Amino acid sequence: MANGMIENGGIAYVVAAYVITWVVLGALLAHAVGSARRARAEYDQAVKGGYRT
Amino acid sequence: MAFRDDVRRIRAIVWKDLTTERRSKAGFSAVAALGVTILVLFGLALGPDGKALQSAAAGALWLAILFASVLAFNRSYQVELDGGALEALLLYPGSRWAIFAGKLIANLLFVLAMLVIVVAVGIVLFAVRVPAEWAALLGIMMLGVVGIVSLGTFYAAMSSRSRAREVLLPLLLYPMLIPVLLASMEATKAFLLGDLLNASGAWVQMLSLFDVIFLVATFLGFEYVIEV
Amino acid sequence: MSPAPTPSFEPPRPLHAAFGWLVFGFFIFTQAYAVLTSPADAMMGHLQKIMYVHVPSAWVEFAAVGVVLFGSLYFLWKEDERADLLAASSAEVGAVFCGLTLVQGMIWGRPTWGVWWTWDARLTSTLVLFLILVGYLALRSFVEDPHRRGQWSAVVGIIGAINVPIVWMSVKWWRTMHQIQSNPRSLSPEYLRGLLLNLAAFTLLTAWFIWRRYEAARYERAAEHVSQAAALGGIDG
Repeated sequence: MANGMIENGGIAYVVAAYVITWVVLGALLAHAVGSARRARAEYDQAVKGGYRT
Repeated sequence: MAFRDDVRRIRAIVWKDLTTERRSKAGFSAVAALGVTILVLFGLALGPDGKALQSAAAGALWLAILFASVLAFNRSYQVELDGGALEALLLYPGSRWAIFAGKLIANLLFVLAMLVIVVAVGIVLFAVRVPAEWAALLGIMMLGVVGIVSLGTFYAAMSSRSRAREVLLPLLLYPMLIPVLLASMEATKAFLLGDLLNASGAWVQMLSLFDVIFLVATFLGFEYVIEV
Repeated sequence: MSPAPTPSFEPPRPLHAAFGWLVFGFFIFTQAYAVLTSPADAMMGHLQKIMYVHVPSAWVEFAAVGVVLFGSLYFLWKEDERADLLAASSAEVGAVFCGLTLVQGMIWGRPTWGVWWTWDARLTSTLVLFLILVGYLALRSFVEDPHRRGQWSAVVGIIGAINVPIVWMSVKWWRTMHQIQSNPRSLSPEYLRGLLLNLAAFTLLTAWFIWRRYEAARYERAAEHVSQAAALGGIDG
Protein backbone atom coordinates (compact mmCIF):
# COMPACT_ATOMS: atom_id res chain seq x y z
CA MET A 1 0.00 0.00 0.00
CA ALA A 2 1.65 3.25 -1.11
CA ASN A 3 2.65 5.69 1.57
CA GLY A 4 1.01 8.63 -0.10
CA MET A 5 -2.32 6.89 -0.34
CA ILE A 6 -2.64 6.42 3.37
CA GLU A 7 -1.37 9.85 4.28
CA ASN A 8 -3.79 11.72 2.06
CA GLY A 9 -6.90 9.76 2.88
CA GLY A 10 -5.87 8.99 6.41
CA ILE A 11 -6.78 12.29 8.00
CA ALA A 12 -10.43 12.07 7.05
CA TYR A 13 -10.71 8.65 8.63
CA VAL A 14 -9.01 9.79 11.81
CA VAL A 15 -11.32 12.76 12.11
CA ALA A 16 -14.36 10.56 11.51
CA ALA A 17 -13.26 8.11 14.19
CA TYR A 18 -12.68 10.83 16.75
CA VAL A 19 -15.86 12.71 16.01
CA ILE A 20 -17.95 9.57 16.29
CA THR A 21 -16.23 8.61 19.52
CA TRP A 22 -16.75 11.98 21.17
CA VAL A 23 -20.35 12.30 20.04
CA VAL A 24 -21.22 8.86 21.36
CA LEU A 25 -19.42 9.47 24.65
CA GLY A 26 -21.19 12.80 24.93
CA ALA A 27 -24.52 11.07 24.46
CA LEU A 28 -23.55 8.48 27.08
CA LEU A 29 -22.64 11.30 29.42
CA ALA A 30 -26.02 12.96 28.95
CA HIS A 31 -27.77 9.64 29.48
CA ALA A 32 -25.79 8.77 32.59
CA VAL A 33 -26.17 12.15 34.24
CA GLY A 34 -29.79 12.53 33.22
CA SER A 35 -30.88 9.14 34.49
CA ALA A 36 -28.99 9.58 37.76
CA ARG A 37 -30.65 12.92 38.36
CA ARG A 38 -34.09 11.58 37.50
CA ALA A 39 -33.70 8.55 39.72
CA ARG A 40 -32.52 10.72 42.59
CA ALA A 41 -35.50 13.02 42.16
CA GLU A 42 -37.82 10.01 42.02
CA TYR A 43 -36.36 8.71 45.26
CA ASP A 44 -36.65 12.03 47.02
CA GLN A 45 -40.26 12.26 45.88
CA ALA A 46 -41.03 8.81 47.19
CA VAL A 47 -39.46 9.59 50.53
CA LYS A 48 -41.37 12.81 50.86
CA GLY A 49 -44.58 11.30 49.62
CA GLY A 50 -45.73 9.59 52.76
CA TYR A 51 -43.44 6.86 53.91
CA ARG A 52 -44.20 6.28 57.52
CA THR A 53 -41.75 4.58 59.82
CA MET B 1 -29.92 -44.38 45.93
CA ALA B 2 -30.64 -40.74 45.14
CA PHE B 3 -29.03 -41.16 41.76
CA ARG B 4 -31.37 -44.02 40.92
CA ASP B 5 -34.30 -41.73 41.68
CA ASP B 6 -32.83 -39.09 39.40
CA VAL B 7 -32.45 -41.56 36.57
CA ARG B 8 -36.05 -42.55 37.00
CA ARG B 9 -37.13 -38.92 36.92
CA ILE B 10 -35.12 -38.36 33.78
CA ARG B 11 -36.73 -41.31 32.08
CA ALA B 12 -40.16 -40.12 33.15
CA ILE B 13 -39.59 -36.65 31.78
CA VAL B 14 -38.19 -37.93 28.48
CA TRP B 15 -41.14 -40.26 28.11
CA LYS B 16 -43.63 -37.55 28.96
CA ASP B 17 -42.10 -35.02 26.56
CA LEU B 18 -41.89 -37.48 23.72
CA THR B 19 -45.38 -38.91 24.11
CA THR B 20 -46.90 -35.46 24.27
CA GLU B 21 -44.99 -34.86 21.09
CA ARG B 22 -46.26 -38.06 19.51
CA ARG B 23 -49.87 -37.34 20.30
CA SER B 24 -49.60 -33.97 18.68
CA LYS B 25 -48.30 -35.44 15.48
CA ALA B 26 -48.37 -32.01 13.95
CA GLY B 27 -45.43 -31.11 16.16
CA PHE B 28 -42.73 -33.23 14.61
CA SER B 29 -44.01 -33.17 11.06
CA ALA B 30 -44.31 -29.41 11.12
CA VAL B 31 -40.78 -28.88 12.37
CA ALA B 32 -39.30 -31.39 9.94
CA ALA B 33 -41.23 -29.79 7.10
CA LEU B 34 -39.91 -26.43 8.16
CA GLY B 35 -36.36 -27.75 8.06
CA VAL B 36 -36.88 -28.98 4.53
CA THR B 37 -38.47 -25.71 3.45
CA ILE B 38 -35.51 -23.77 4.78
CA LEU B 39 -33.21 -26.03 2.80
CA VAL B 40 -35.18 -25.25 -0.33
CA LEU B 41 -34.87 -21.54 0.34
CA PHE B 42 -31.13 -21.88 0.76
CA GLY B 43 -30.98 -23.82 -2.46
CA LEU B 44 -32.77 -21.02 -4.25
CA ALA B 45 -30.54 -18.43 -2.66
CA LEU B 46 -27.28 -20.15 -3.49
CA GLY B 47 -27.96 -22.13 -6.66
CA PRO B 48 -28.63 -23.32 -9.26
CA ASP B 49 -24.95 -23.87 -10.05
CA GLY B 50 -24.06 -27.33 -8.81
CA LYS B 51 -20.55 -26.44 -7.65
CA ALA B 52 -21.75 -23.51 -5.57
CA LEU B 53 -24.40 -25.66 -3.97
CA GLN B 54 -21.97 -28.42 -3.11
CA SER B 55 -19.58 -26.09 -1.34
CA ALA B 56 -22.44 -24.41 0.51
CA ALA B 57 -24.18 -27.63 1.45
CA ALA B 58 -22.69 -28.03 4.91
CA GLY B 59 -23.55 -24.48 5.95
CA ALA B 60 -27.08 -24.64 4.58
CA LEU B 61 -27.71 -27.97 6.26
CA TRP B 62 -26.67 -26.79 9.69
CA LEU B 63 -28.57 -23.52 9.49
CA ALA B 64 -31.71 -25.33 8.41
CA ILE B 65 -31.37 -27.66 11.39
CA LEU B 66 -30.71 -24.73 13.72
CA PHE B 67 -33.71 -22.67 12.62
CA ALA B 68 -36.07 -25.61 12.78
CA SER B 69 -34.76 -26.74 16.18
CA VAL B 70 -35.37 -23.35 17.72
CA LEU B 71 -39.09 -23.91 17.32
CA ALA B 72 -38.82 -27.20 19.11
CA PHE B 73 -37.01 -25.68 22.09
CA ASN B 74 -39.62 -23.15 23.12
CA ARG B 75 -42.36 -25.67 22.57
CA SER B 76 -40.69 -28.17 24.86
CA TYR B 77 -41.49 -25.93 27.82
CA GLN B 78 -44.80 -24.77 26.42
CA VAL B 79 -46.52 -28.00 27.35
CA GLU B 80 -45.70 -27.61 31.02
CA LEU B 81 -46.39 -23.91 31.09
CA ASP B 82 -49.85 -24.29 29.60
CA GLY B 83 -50.92 -26.77 32.20
CA GLY B 84 -49.14 -25.14 35.10
CA ALA B 85 -47.18 -28.33 35.38
CA LEU B 86 -43.84 -26.64 35.84
CA GLU B 87 -44.62 -25.52 39.38
CA ALA B 88 -45.84 -29.02 40.19
CA LEU B 89 -42.66 -30.48 38.76
CA LEU B 90 -40.58 -28.18 40.92
CA LEU B 91 -42.53 -29.08 44.03
CA TYR B 92 -41.38 -32.67 43.91
CA PRO B 93 -38.19 -33.19 45.85
CA GLY B 94 -35.21 -34.04 43.75
CA SER B 95 -32.43 -32.47 41.80
CA ARG B 96 -33.12 -29.88 39.17
CA TRP B 97 -30.45 -31.22 36.91
CA ALA B 98 -32.63 -34.26 36.33
CA ILE B 99 -35.30 -32.00 34.85
CA PHE B 100 -32.74 -30.47 32.55
CA ALA B 101 -31.37 -33.88 31.59
CA GLY B 102 -34.83 -35.15 30.80
CA LYS B 103 -35.70 -32.18 28.60
CA LEU B 104 -32.28 -32.28 27.00
CA ILE B 105 -32.59 -35.93 26.03
CA ALA B 106 -36.12 -35.48 24.74
CA ASN B 107 -35.04 -32.53 22.59
CA LEU B 108 -32.00 -34.45 21.45
CA LEU B 109 -34.08 -37.34 20.18
CA PHE B 110 -36.49 -34.94 18.53
CA VAL B 111 -33.79 -32.98 16.74
CA LEU B 112 -31.89 -36.12 15.70
CA ALA B 113 -35.05 -37.53 14.15
CA MET B 114 -35.54 -34.28 12.28
CA LEU B 115 -31.90 -34.24 11.25
CA VAL B 116 -32.21 -37.57 9.49
CA ILE B 117 -34.96 -36.21 7.29
CA VAL B 118 -33.30 -32.87 6.64
CA VAL B 119 -29.95 -34.44 5.79
CA ALA B 120 -31.54 -36.92 3.44
CA VAL B 121 -33.31 -34.14 1.58
CA GLY B 122 -30.19 -31.98 1.68
CA ILE B 123 -28.07 -34.66 0.06
CA VAL B 124 -30.47 -34.73 -2.85
CA LEU B 125 -31.08 -31.00 -3.22
CA PHE B 126 -27.44 -30.00 -2.89
CA ALA B 127 -26.01 -32.88 -4.92
CA VAL B 128 -23.84 -33.93 -2.04
CA ARG B 129 -21.46 -36.77 -2.71
CA VAL B 130 -21.85 -39.05 0.29
CA PRO B 131 -18.46 -40.33 1.36
CA ALA B 132 -17.85 -43.98 2.20
CA GLU B 133 -17.43 -43.18 5.87
CA TRP B 134 -20.95 -41.84 6.26
CA ALA B 135 -21.09 -43.21 9.79
CA ALA B 136 -18.34 -40.81 10.79
CA LEU B 137 -20.36 -37.99 9.26
CA LEU B 138 -23.30 -38.99 11.40
CA GLY B 139 -21.01 -38.90 14.41
CA ILE B 140 -19.93 -35.38 13.57
CA MET B 141 -23.52 -34.30 13.21
CA MET B 142 -24.46 -35.83 16.53
CA LEU B 143 -21.73 -33.84 18.24
CA GLY B 144 -23.02 -30.65 16.68
CA VAL B 145 -26.58 -31.43 17.65
CA VAL B 146 -25.56 -32.04 21.27
CA GLY B 147 -24.13 -28.54 21.40
CA ILE B 148 -27.17 -26.95 19.79
CA VAL B 149 -29.65 -28.85 21.92
CA SER B 150 -27.91 -28.27 25.25
CA LEU B 151 -27.71 -24.51 24.78
CA GLY B 152 -31.14 -24.38 23.16
CA THR B 153 -32.85 -26.30 25.96
CA PHE B 154 -31.09 -24.11 28.49
CA TYR B 155 -32.01 -20.72 27.04
CA ALA B 156 -35.55 -21.86 26.27
CA ALA B 157 -36.06 -22.42 29.99
CA MET B 158 -35.92 -18.64 30.27
CA SER B 159 -37.29 -17.41 26.99
CA SER B 160 -40.40 -19.60 27.17
CA ARG B 161 -41.35 -17.89 30.41
CA SER B 162 -40.82 -14.31 29.38
CA ARG B 163 -42.43 -11.85 27.06
CA ALA B 164 -41.36 -11.73 23.42
CA ARG B 165 -40.22 -15.34 23.61
CA GLU B 166 -40.03 -15.72 19.83
CA VAL B 167 -37.33 -13.10 19.53
CA LEU B 168 -35.60 -13.66 22.85
CA LEU B 169 -34.58 -17.25 22.25
CA PRO B 170 -32.79 -16.65 18.94
CA LEU B 171 -31.32 -13.40 20.21
CA LEU B 172 -29.73 -15.11 23.20
CA LEU B 173 -29.00 -18.43 21.54
CA TYR B 174 -27.44 -17.63 18.19
CA PRO B 175 -24.37 -15.69 19.38
CA MET B 176 -23.75 -18.39 21.97
CA LEU B 177 -23.91 -21.09 19.32
CA ILE B 178 -21.32 -19.53 17.04
CA PRO B 179 -18.40 -21.73 18.15
CA VAL B 180 -20.48 -24.92 17.96
CA LEU B 181 -21.96 -23.97 14.60
CA LEU B 182 -18.64 -22.93 13.14
CA ALA B 183 -16.98 -26.14 14.23
CA SER B 184 -19.90 -28.28 13.01
CA MET B 185 -20.11 -26.58 9.65
CA GLU B 186 -16.38 -26.67 9.07
CA ALA B 187 -16.05 -30.28 10.15
CA THR B 188 -18.95 -31.29 7.91
CA LYS B 189 -17.64 -29.23 5.01
CA ALA B 190 -14.13 -30.63 5.27
CA PHE B 191 -15.49 -34.13 5.53
CA LEU B 192 -17.78 -33.79 2.50
CA LEU B 193 -15.14 -32.16 0.35
CA GLY B 194 -12.56 -34.86 0.87
CA ASP B 195 -10.75 -33.66 3.96
CA LEU B 196 -7.40 -33.04 2.41
CA LEU B 197 -5.70 -31.58 5.46
CA ASN B 198 -7.45 -33.74 7.99
CA ALA B 199 -9.14 -30.52 8.90
CA SER B 200 -12.25 -32.24 10.10
CA GLY B 201 -10.31 -34.06 12.79
CA ALA B 202 -9.17 -30.82 14.34
CA TRP B 203 -12.65 -29.35 14.16
CA VAL B 204 -14.17 -32.46 15.70
CA GLN B 205 -11.80 -32.14 18.63
CA MET B 206 -12.80 -28.51 19.07
CA LEU B 207 -16.47 -29.39 18.78
CA SER B 208 -16.14 -32.06 21.44
CA LEU B 209 -14.40 -29.58 23.73
CA PHE B 210 -17.15 -27.03 23.16
CA ASP B 211 -19.81 -29.63 23.88
CA VAL B 212 -18.19 -30.49 27.20
CA ILE B 213 -17.83 -26.84 28.20
CA PHE B 214 -21.40 -25.94 27.34
CA LEU B 215 -22.90 -29.09 28.83
CA VAL B 216 -21.19 -28.37 32.13
CA ALA B 217 -22.12 -24.69 32.02
CA THR B 218 -25.77 -25.32 31.23
CA PHE B 219 -26.16 -28.06 33.79
CA LEU B 220 -24.69 -25.81 36.46
CA GLY B 221 -26.73 -22.83 35.39
CA PHE B 222 -30.08 -24.57 35.01
CA GLU B 223 -30.72 -24.74 38.72
CA TYR B 224 -30.60 -20.96 39.02
CA VAL B 225 -32.77 -20.46 36.01
CA ILE B 226 -35.57 -22.90 36.66
CA GLU B 227 -36.01 -22.12 40.33
CA VAL B 228 -37.08 -18.51 39.94
CA MET C 1 -35.55 -21.55 50.73
CA SER C 2 -33.00 -19.05 49.47
CA PRO C 3 -31.42 -16.57 51.91
CA ALA C 4 -33.05 -13.18 52.13
CA PRO C 5 -31.31 -10.87 49.70
CA THR C 6 -29.37 -7.94 51.07
CA PRO C 7 -31.58 -5.06 50.09
CA SER C 8 -30.10 -2.39 47.90
CA PHE C 9 -32.92 -0.28 49.15
CA GLU C 10 -30.75 2.23 50.90
CA PRO C 11 -29.69 4.89 48.44
CA PRO C 12 -26.09 4.78 47.30
CA ARG C 13 -23.47 7.23 48.45
CA PRO C 14 -23.43 9.78 45.67
CA LEU C 15 -20.26 10.45 43.81
CA HIS C 16 -18.67 13.82 44.34
CA ALA C 17 -19.14 16.14 41.39
CA ALA C 18 -15.50 17.17 41.47
CA PHE C 19 -14.48 13.65 40.54
CA GLY C 20 -16.56 13.88 37.36
CA TRP C 21 -14.95 17.14 36.32
CA LEU C 22 -11.51 15.77 37.04
CA VAL C 23 -12.11 12.65 35.00
CA PHE C 24 -13.40 14.56 32.01
CA GLY C 25 -10.64 17.12 32.23
CA PHE C 26 -8.06 14.36 32.23
CA PHE C 27 -9.76 12.70 29.30
CA ILE C 28 -9.71 15.85 27.18
CA PHE C 29 -6.10 16.46 28.08
CA THR C 30 -4.90 12.98 27.16
CA GLN C 31 -6.79 12.96 23.89
CA ALA C 32 -5.35 16.30 22.87
CA TYR C 33 -1.89 15.33 24.03
CA ALA C 34 -1.83 12.06 22.14
CA VAL C 35 -3.26 13.46 18.92
CA LEU C 36 -1.09 16.54 18.81
CA THR C 37 2.22 15.11 19.92
CA SER C 38 2.35 11.80 18.11
CA PRO C 39 4.32 11.84 14.86
CA ALA C 40 3.02 10.38 11.62
CA ASP C 41 3.77 6.71 11.31
CA ALA C 42 6.03 5.49 8.51
CA MET C 43 3.47 3.08 7.18
CA MET C 44 0.15 4.36 8.35
CA GLY C 45 0.61 8.09 8.38
CA HIS C 46 -1.78 9.89 10.64
CA LEU C 47 -4.13 6.96 10.57
CA GLN C 48 -2.15 5.66 13.50
CA LYS C 49 -3.85 8.19 15.76
CA ILE C 50 -7.03 6.12 15.75
CA MET C 51 -5.19 3.84 18.11
CA TYR C 52 -5.68 6.37 20.91
CA VAL C 53 -9.43 5.83 20.91
CA HIS C 54 -9.54 2.33 19.50
CA VAL C 55 -7.20 0.47 21.84
CA PRO C 56 -8.57 2.09 25.02
CA SER C 57 -12.15 1.42 23.89
CA ALA C 58 -11.34 -2.22 23.32
CA TRP C 59 -9.64 -2.52 26.69
CA VAL C 60 -12.50 -0.82 28.47
CA GLU C 61 -15.05 -3.04 26.78
CA PHE C 62 -13.32 -6.15 28.08
CA ALA C 63 -12.93 -4.65 31.51
CA ALA C 64 -16.66 -3.93 31.56
CA VAL C 65 -17.42 -7.52 30.61
CA GLY C 66 -15.13 -8.57 33.45
CA VAL C 67 -17.25 -6.54 35.83
CA VAL C 68 -20.36 -8.19 34.42
CA LEU C 69 -18.80 -11.61 34.94
CA PHE C 70 -17.65 -11.06 38.50
CA GLY C 71 -20.70 -9.07 39.48
CA SER C 72 -22.90 -11.88 38.24
CA LEU C 73 -20.87 -14.52 40.05
CA TYR C 74 -21.04 -12.51 43.26
CA PHE C 75 -24.76 -12.02 42.86
CA LEU C 76 -25.40 -15.74 42.48
CA TRP C 77 -23.22 -16.44 45.48
CA LYS C 78 -24.37 -13.77 47.93
CA GLU C 79 -27.74 -12.80 46.42
CA ASP C 80 -26.78 -9.17 46.91
CA GLU C 81 -28.95 -7.15 44.57
CA ARG C 82 -26.35 -4.41 44.34
CA ALA C 83 -24.05 -6.77 42.47
CA ASP C 84 -26.79 -7.36 39.92
CA LEU C 85 -27.31 -3.63 39.39
CA LEU C 86 -23.58 -3.12 39.02
CA ALA C 87 -23.38 -5.88 36.43
CA ALA C 88 -26.28 -4.38 34.49
CA SER C 89 -24.77 -0.91 34.47
CA SER C 90 -21.47 -2.33 33.37
CA ALA C 91 -23.11 -4.29 30.56
CA GLU C 92 -24.76 -1.16 29.28
CA VAL C 93 -21.60 0.92 29.27
CA GLY C 94 -19.67 -2.05 27.91
CA ALA C 95 -22.08 -2.36 25.01
CA VAL C 96 -21.53 1.29 24.09
CA PHE C 97 -17.75 0.90 24.07
CA CYS C 98 -18.07 -2.37 22.21
CA GLY C 99 -20.01 -0.62 19.47
CA LEU C 100 -17.44 2.16 19.42
CA THR C 101 -14.58 -0.32 19.15
CA LEU C 102 -16.29 -1.96 16.21
CA VAL C 103 -16.85 1.28 14.34
CA GLN C 104 -13.32 2.52 15.04
CA GLY C 105 -11.90 -0.81 13.92
CA MET C 106 -13.84 -0.63 10.68
CA ILE C 107 -12.78 2.95 10.06
CA TRP C 108 -9.17 1.94 10.61
CA GLY C 109 -9.56 -1.08 8.41
CA ARG C 110 -10.99 0.64 5.36
CA PRO C 111 -7.89 2.58 4.28
CA THR C 112 -5.59 -0.14 5.57
CA TRP C 113 -7.07 -3.21 3.96
CA GLY C 114 -9.41 -1.64 1.44
CA VAL C 115 -12.55 -3.16 2.93
CA TRP C 116 -14.93 -2.14 5.69
CA TRP C 117 -15.05 -5.64 7.09
CA THR C 118 -12.77 -8.62 7.27
CA TRP C 119 -13.79 -11.72 9.13
CA ASP C 120 -10.77 -11.67 11.36
CA ALA C 121 -10.82 -12.92 14.94
CA ARG C 122 -10.71 -9.49 16.54
CA LEU C 123 -13.46 -7.78 14.60
CA THR C 124 -15.70 -10.81 14.57
CA SER C 125 -15.33 -11.50 18.28
CA THR C 126 -16.09 -7.87 19.04
CA LEU C 127 -19.23 -8.05 16.97
CA VAL C 128 -20.32 -11.25 18.66
CA LEU C 129 -19.61 -9.76 22.07
CA PHE C 130 -21.77 -6.81 21.11
CA LEU C 131 -24.61 -9.16 20.24
CA ILE C 132 -24.16 -11.03 23.50
CA LEU C 133 -24.39 -7.79 25.47
CA VAL C 134 -27.44 -6.69 23.51
CA GLY C 135 -29.04 -10.04 24.30
CA TYR C 136 -28.24 -9.59 27.98
CA LEU C 137 -29.83 -6.14 28.04
CA ALA C 138 -32.84 -7.35 26.05
CA LEU C 139 -33.38 -10.16 28.54
CA ARG C 140 -33.37 -7.69 31.40
CA SER C 141 -35.88 -5.48 29.67
CA PHE C 142 -38.26 -8.40 29.18
CA VAL C 143 -38.29 -9.58 32.78
CA GLU C 144 -40.23 -7.63 35.37
CA ASP C 145 -39.59 -9.40 38.64
CA PRO C 146 -36.28 -8.14 40.09
CA HIS C 147 -35.28 -11.44 41.64
CA ARG C 148 -35.91 -13.44 38.51
CA ARG C 149 -34.26 -10.75 36.42
CA GLY C 150 -31.17 -10.84 38.60
CA GLN C 151 -30.85 -14.62 38.56
CA TRP C 152 -31.42 -14.98 34.85
CA SER C 153 -29.14 -12.09 33.85
CA ALA C 154 -26.42 -13.41 36.10
CA VAL C 155 -26.40 -16.84 34.50
CA VAL C 156 -26.71 -15.41 30.99
CA GLY C 157 -23.94 -12.92 31.73
CA ILE C 158 -21.58 -15.54 33.09
CA ILE C 159 -22.04 -17.99 30.24
CA GLY C 160 -21.91 -15.14 27.74
CA ALA C 161 -18.63 -13.88 29.14
CA ILE C 162 -17.15 -17.38 29.07
CA ASN C 163 -18.14 -17.65 25.43
CA VAL C 164 -16.06 -14.68 24.31
CA PRO C 165 -12.63 -16.34 24.34
CA ILE C 166 -14.22 -19.45 22.86
CA VAL C 167 -15.60 -17.46 19.94
CA TRP C 168 -12.25 -15.76 19.47
CA MET C 169 -10.45 -19.08 19.42
CA SER C 170 -12.83 -20.69 16.96
CA VAL C 171 -12.74 -17.76 14.52
CA LYS C 172 -8.94 -17.68 14.73
CA TRP C 173 -8.84 -21.36 13.91
CA TRP C 174 -11.34 -20.86 11.12
CA ARG C 175 -9.06 -18.36 9.42
CA THR C 176 -5.98 -20.47 10.01
CA MET C 177 -7.62 -23.52 8.46
CA HIS C 178 -8.51 -21.50 5.38
CA GLN C 179 -4.95 -20.20 5.36
CA ILE C 180 -5.76 -16.56 5.50
CA GLN C 181 -2.95 -14.42 6.80
CA SER C 182 -3.54 -12.33 9.85
CA ASN C 183 -2.38 -8.75 9.99
CA PRO C 184 0.05 -8.19 12.81
CA ARG C 185 0.22 -4.75 14.30
CA SER C 186 3.35 -3.61 16.03
CA LEU C 187 3.76 -0.62 18.28
CA SER C 188 6.83 1.58 18.30
CA PRO C 189 7.80 3.03 21.68
CA GLU C 190 7.22 6.70 20.86
CA TYR C 191 3.51 6.02 20.79
CA LEU C 192 3.48 4.18 24.05
CA ARG C 193 3.18 7.12 26.43
CA GLY C 194 0.17 8.60 24.66
CA LEU C 195 -1.44 5.19 24.58
CA LEU C 196 -0.93 4.50 28.27
CA LEU C 197 -2.25 7.92 29.22
CA ASN C 198 -5.35 7.34 27.16
CA LEU C 199 -5.80 3.88 28.60
CA ALA C 200 -5.83 5.43 32.06
CA ALA C 201 -8.19 8.20 30.97
CA PHE C 202 -10.66 5.84 29.35
CA THR C 203 -10.60 3.54 32.36
CA LEU C 204 -11.42 6.38 34.73
CA LEU C 205 -14.09 7.65 32.37
CA THR C 206 -15.73 4.25 32.13
CA ALA C 207 -15.62 3.76 35.86
CA TRP C 208 -17.39 7.10 36.21
CA PHE C 209 -20.03 6.15 33.63
CA ILE C 210 -20.68 2.81 35.29
CA TRP C 211 -20.90 4.36 38.71
CA ARG C 212 -23.41 6.95 37.55
CA ARG C 213 -25.64 4.33 35.94
CA TYR C 214 -25.28 2.16 39.01
CA GLU C 215 -26.30 5.11 41.13
CA ALA C 216 -29.39 5.63 38.99
CA ALA C 217 -30.31 1.96 39.28
CA ARG C 218 -29.89 2.00 43.06
CA TYR C 219 -32.03 5.11 43.46
CA GLU C 220 -34.70 3.53 41.29
CA ARG C 221 -34.78 0.40 43.42
CA ALA C 222 -34.79 2.44 46.59
CA ALA C 223 -37.67 4.53 45.29
CA GLU C 224 -39.58 1.37 44.36
CA HIS C 225 -39.11 -0.02 47.83
CA VAL C 226 -40.16 3.19 49.50
CA SER C 227 -43.38 3.47 47.54
CA GLN C 228 -44.08 -0.22 48.11
CA ALA C 229 -43.61 0.24 51.82
CA ALA C 230 -45.84 3.29 51.77
CA ALA C 231 -48.52 1.38 49.88
CA LEU C 232 -48.39 -1.37 52.47
CA GLY C 233 -48.73 1.15 55.25
CA GLY C 234 -45.15 1.24 56.41
CA ILE C 235 -44.76 -2.54 56.63
CA ASP C 236 -41.28 -3.68 55.67
CA GLY C 237 -41.80 -5.34 52.24
